[in-house]
Amino acid sequence: MAKKVMIVDDSKMIYLQMQNMLADSQEFEVAAYCRSGEEAVEQYDVVMPDVVTMDIIMPGIDGIEAAGAILEKHPQARIVMVSSLAYEDTFDEAKEIGAKGFIDKPFDKESLIKALHEALEQA
Amino acid sequence: MNTAMSQEGLEEMLDRAVREVTRQTAGIQLFQSGGSLGEDICTVYVTFNKGFHTSLTLCADTALLVRMAHNIFGGSFNVQEDLEDFSKEYLNVLCGKIARFLKETTSVAVRFSVPRFYRGNYIPQDHRRQFILTYSDDENAGAQLGHHIPCGSE
Repeated sequence: MAKKVMIVDDSKMIYLQMQNMLADSQEFEVAAYCRSGEEAVEQYDVVMPDVVTMDIIMPGIDGIEAAGAILEKHPQARIVMVSSLAYEDTFDEAKEIGAKGFIDKPFDKESLIKALHEALEQA
Repeated sequence: MNTAMSQEGLEEMLDRAVREVTRQTAGIQLFQSGGSLGEDICTVYVTFNKGFHTSLTLCADTALLVRMAHNIFGGSFNVQEDLEDFSKEYLNVLCGKIARFLKETTSVAVRFSVPRFYRGNYIPQDHRRQFILTYSDDENAGAQLGHHIPCGSE
């Protein structure tokens, strides 16, 4: 059974890009798309995805805050942060809140799928 | 962007970021040129709000942004609906690259705002332009990256 992925990004372009990359995958299906951190926090309870890709820089609450809010309520949540801000400070911030991985923008299909697998493999 | 970098060093760093990101994401080679933009242009604007307090505008021929988006997204790109979204995401990735270069050079971790999109030319309020880098692609469409500093800054 395919794992449910929830994509959180204010850019529809990123959603379309990820959806295309996962379209022919038997392992993953895009179960939900949220355009803000607030929407992601609400939708997590409804969708209960296996893994979340979470953009960091978004209007309203940013991805770090949204991921923190989800993890507070669902400590088992597997969240992979997605950002162009790929350096140690951001990695550390993501790790501190309990994120399971990091995808550096721009990304390709291989790195997306690898990050999703790694997140799922973590307890 | 800060006193630890000369303007010349900053220009070189921004130029490298623009060329690399555009080539890597859209497969388009940009060249610095003295050309001017056409009449159908768009501007995306971002402010650096942690680490540095400056802003960048990317003003580009719409044709260039559309070409880049088509190279990335192919048929799924709708110009009317998606141009703003694409332009903001492109600047987001560009700023990420700039942030990485700044971190390597100055050890300062920066954050930046969600990019804003404008049809036509946009000039940031309360900032003055320090310099501008002008580019053309191989089809003579152009783009200008402007670096702005708060009024009253050196």
